[in-house]
Amino acid sequence: MAKIVILGAGIAGHVAAAHLRRKLPKKHEVLVVSPNSNYQWIPSNIWVGIGRMKSEQILFPLPPLYKKKGIGYKQAKVTTFHPEGDAETPKPYVNVEYVVGDHKGKTEKVTYDYLINATGPKLAFDMTEGLNPGTNKAYSVCTYTHAEHAWHALNTLIQEMKQGKKAKILIGTGHAKSTCQGAAFEYILNVEKELRRHGVRDMAEVTWIANEHELGDFGMDGMLMSYGNNIMKSSEMVEMVFEDRGIKWIIGAGVNKIEDGVAHYETLDGEFHTETYDFAMLIPAFSGHGFKAYDKDNNDITKKLFKGFMIVDADYTPRPYEEWSVQDWPETYQNPTYDNIFAPGIAFAPPHAISKPRTSKNGTPISPAPPRTGMPSGMTAKLVADNIIDMINGKKDLHHKGSMGNMGAACIASAGYGMTQGSGVSITTFPIVPDYHKYPDTQGRKLGKTFGSIGLAGHWLKLALHYAFIYKAKMKPFWWLIPE
Amino acid sequence: MTRRISKTKRFYMQNPIIQFFKFIWLSLKILVIVAGGHGGTRNVNGQ
Ligand SMILES: Cc1cc2nc3c(=O)[nH]c(=O)nc-3n(C[C@H](O)[C@H](O)[C@H](O)COP(=O)(O)OP(=O)(O)OC[C@H]3O[C@@H](n4cnc5c(N)ncnc54)[C@H](O)[C@@H]3O)c2cc1C
Repeated sequence: MAKIVILGAGIAGHVAAAHLRRKLPKKHEVLVVSPNSNYQWIPSNIWVGIGRMKSEQILFPLPPLYKKKGIGYKQAKVTTFHPEGDAETPKPYVNVEYVVGDHKGKTEKVTYDYLINATGPKLAFDMTEGLNPGTNKAYSVCTYTHAEHAWHALNTLIQEMKQGKKAKILIGTGHAKSTCQGAAFEYILNVEKELRRHGVRDMAEVTWIANEHELGDFGMDGMLMSYGNNIMKSSEMVEMVFEDRGIKWIIGAGVNKIEDGVAHYETLDGEFHTETYDFAMLIPAFSGHGFKAYDKDNNDITKKLFKGFMIVDADYTPRPYEEWSVQDWPETYQNPTYDNIFAPGIAFAPPHAISKPRTSKNGTPISPAPPRTGMPSGMTAKLVADNIIDMINGKKDLHHKGSMGNMGAACIASAGYGMTQGSGVSITTFPIVPDYHKYPDTQGRKLGKTFGSIGLAGHWLKLALHYAFIYKAKMKPFWWLIPE
Repeated sequence: MTRRISKTKRFYMQNPIIQFFKFIWLSLKILVIVAGGHGGTRNVNGQ
């Protein structure tokens, strides 16, 4: 009998738990440890942040589902890793701390045979001075509670605009190394659409601010894509959309400080500027959680497990951008020191960025960190689950592989909500990490599989995915037929 | 605001009938890309 402990119940953790439970006989134990007892479909936070969806529509409680399906659950957060056990506990374990109820604050050793670290990112607001959702008129949509607060503030501003107030809205990245530009891109288009719907578009100046050196970089080094019968750069597509919507932009900007209604930033040309606003939504830097790890003698071995995020089978040798290759990216998400530990989704340490690193004239690094969106998070979690099942069944090699350099992803960016008036920017990319060796003439990507499309169908698709993925997450009949 | 998307294109982008077929086409295309598989990058055959 094997015990598999999964840390985190986001897209990666929940996908891994669901597949393991479905495929493994009941004698094996599947246990999830996560501080938030709700599953949230994060991509739909965008719509909570414009008041077109309620939080309840994008989340559901996990404990009843886990109980029904025979998945163990502890509402707790992991604090330390002990992959060799210790003098008292010979089995590997993690220390967890309960976050609610009578046990709140109590810690417990949770032993395991296999460990899946799917704790995602820490939303590192503290890395930007003054950036704290709900203060200084700056908000976030990274969680459903943040998104609710954002909508409350935006709605208040819209009402003031209806009374004649002119307003400035700033949306983008809140740190020089932020990622997740795609989410901010969706949000700015949705906000702009809502301003029109409320009849106050003329009262607002809407500005995009980002650490990308050109529009449409998205932390993916930009894309060359098929667009209808044409071939277009993602920068051209985003520029077309922004100009058409009257959205201004500031790029190559590392936001370093937020004051009440003022964003301070440095640009790649080394200049320091400020931008005032009445409402801002700025994506923070994502960092590792700062976990510590110890060996059986209680020596600190954090460096064997973590490099900010968790160390996996990537090639972490530092190299200049010109020498980066898809082979640097992990395939199995297994920790090289402890072969029973895996880290799918955002929890794994990437070997390097995807976009070319850039520094300002003052030496400040200003460029996006690599994104790991929902689709690769789900796919990597599923392949980790499949490899663990193989290991339990006695197989030595890991057969299931999925490098982001040999994996496609779809990003359906909502560009406005509404069954007839909505819009979406649908982008697919293959591979996620450009393979400049295999596709030298098309900026590292396969053209037919890397395409962009704009229109109402994109909105329907995003909405259909919302319902399909919540259905899947609820493990309703035949849920496993819906691909990650 | 600078008009960058022509009236014809805008009509095409927002017409529910055209977009219904686009929806089917997009869904299939995405399914093919995503379900089309994934693999490693390090072995000799590249898959
Ligand atoms: C606003 C927004 C919109 C997005 N839109 C899209 C989109 O349209 N399409 C797309 O593909 N992707 C989108 N993404 C990205 C997508 O949400 C992420 O790729 C995905 O959530 C990553 O999954 P994960 O499981 O690795 O991490 P998460 O979803 O962050 O899950 C981490 C889990 O770990 C838990 N956890 C945290 N700390 C601990 C601890 N100490 N111990 C135990 N558990 C812990 C958390 O509670 C959570 O359950 C969006 C992201 C944002 C923020």
